Amino acid sequence: MDMVFQLLFQGIGIGSVYALVALGFVLIFRATNVVNFAQGEFSMVAAFLMVIFSVDLEWPYWISFLLSLGGMAIYGALFNLGVYFPLRHRTYLPVIISTIGASILVSNSTLALYGPQPQVLQPLLDFPGFNIGTVYLDAQYLLIIGLTVVLVAFQYWFFEHTLLGKKLQATSQDKEMASLLGIPVATMIMLTFVYSAMIGGLAGILVAPILFVSIHMGGTIALKAFAATIIGGFGDVAGAIIGGLALGVIETFGAAYVSVPYKDGFAFLVLVAFLVFRPQGIFGERVAEKA
Amino acid sequence: MPLIELKDVSVRYGEIEALRGVSLSVEAGEVVTLLGGNGAGKSTTLRAISGLTKPASGEILYEGKSLTGLGPEEIVRMGIAHVPEGRRVFPGLTAHENIMLGASNRSGISKEQIDQEADAMFDLFSDIRPFQHVLGWTLSGGQQQMVAVARGLMAKPKLLLLDEPSLGFAPVIVSKVFDIIKEIRRRGTTVLLVEQNARMGLSVADRGYVLETGRLVVTGKPDELWNNEDVRAAYLGGHARAAAKA
Repeated sequence: MDMVFQLLFQGIGIGSVYALVALGFVLIFRATNVVNFAQGEFSMVAAFLMVIFSVDLEWPYWISFLLSLGGMAIYGALFNLGVYFPLRHRTYLPVIISTIGASILVSNSTLALYGPQPQVLQPLLDFPGFNIGTVYLDAQYLLIIGLTVVLVAFQYWFFEHTLLGKKLQATSQDKEMASLLGIPVATMIMLTFVYSAMIGGLAGILVAPILFVSIHMGGTIALKAFAATIIGGFGDVAGAIIGGLALGVIETFGAAYVSVPYKDGFAFLVLVAFLVFRPQGIFGERVAEKA
Repeated sequence: MPLIELKDVSVRYGEIEALRGVSLSVEAGEVVTLLGGNGAGKSTTLRAISGLTKPASGEILYEGKSLTGLGPEEIVRMGIAHVPEGRRVFPGLTAHENIMLGASNRSGISKEQIDQEADAMFDLFSDIRPFQHVLGWTLSGGQQQMVAVARGLMAKPKLLLLDEPSLGFAPVIVSKVFDIIKEIRRRGTTVLLVEQNARMGLSVADRGYVLETGRLVVTGKPDELWNNEDVRAAYLGGHARAAAKA
């Protein structure tokens, strides 16, 4: 039984990372109607910024952390201006290709700068963790879960209880009508990219001490987050969170009880099952088309 | 000086010329209706005024100032609210939230004030008061139309552009919509109303224009237009009587 709790804890921890990245996916998808294939690179770039600030420059950890998040805000803004904005009046296809191009450009630029060897990042907290009974609670996982809860609560409050949140929702639902009401649509989309890059970056920084920091980490995280988004339903914020957590738990249990080498396979098995049997996801679309 | 004036405005959608040299004007305090059949260019005229569509040539003046080169976000901040065809209520927001967002063009007002003003809208639109916390997509077409008009009024516009507010509704809803237009008029807001339902449009208007395939053909007071046999026959659906007379 302790084993089950231990795995559940770890599954929810890693699932929180998927949930954060999936949240970024959903927000950009709802604002632009396009899946951002460079979403995983948000996490990768943030982890490398962390390496630059805290390892290469040897600046204090928390300052590096804040600088990296600030850097991601700027990265999100530049990403919007360079990848989405020039193509905003086109159909979804050129935009998708543009995001794929950005993904290739960013990961290969990082490869050119840092080479293929993975970088190591120390955990954010000094103490390693503690036991409750025989269940070991790793501090980094606790931090990930705690920050995810705080962010999700903040986001709920922001979208449901502020006027700016409502304007962002309106923009994602009908851009032309939003502009007719005087809502600054370009600014709303800019904010979405900045926020999405920041939470994707946060996920990358949090997961970096558990995984290695490499140019491939973005791709792996993005694929899992994409699967989480399909499982949860693409239009829904709650779906992204539940999907991410579910995926983390499933692959952790799969690795423990079935097969470690096939750990990543379980995520995609679940993805395929959902695509076949429930393509709209657990929650489906919140807004149905009226006949 | 008219509140809004179109001077020789032409609009093209690719090869198609949707408006060909249209000139019209609306004075402050007037209700003016724009009549005509499908594809006559009525909605295009409104889209050109609110900045959704850029004219290929000609000029649009609002309070004497040119709107050329301005986008919809800037134009609504100047006091022109456009309630487009198809209502365009945000499906995932409640009726109350939809109405609150109508004030997005006004700067320097608090959320509390917007909230109160939105509450006050339900005095004018009492039919939708019970549904104010219901998501937009679940409302009926008539309820959505009320929300769309209320949202337009939240902009505190000097000029309200209404595109086919009666389209597709049962007569009882249509008469409610027009009661509201009369009330808007009584409060002193200038209205440019696009209608296919000529009888309803002329019943609330001071003047009317008739468009045909992108061109203005006739203008006049409601009774002049209503009694003009050619107009009735050609544009206002009076075929039977015109034919009988002939």
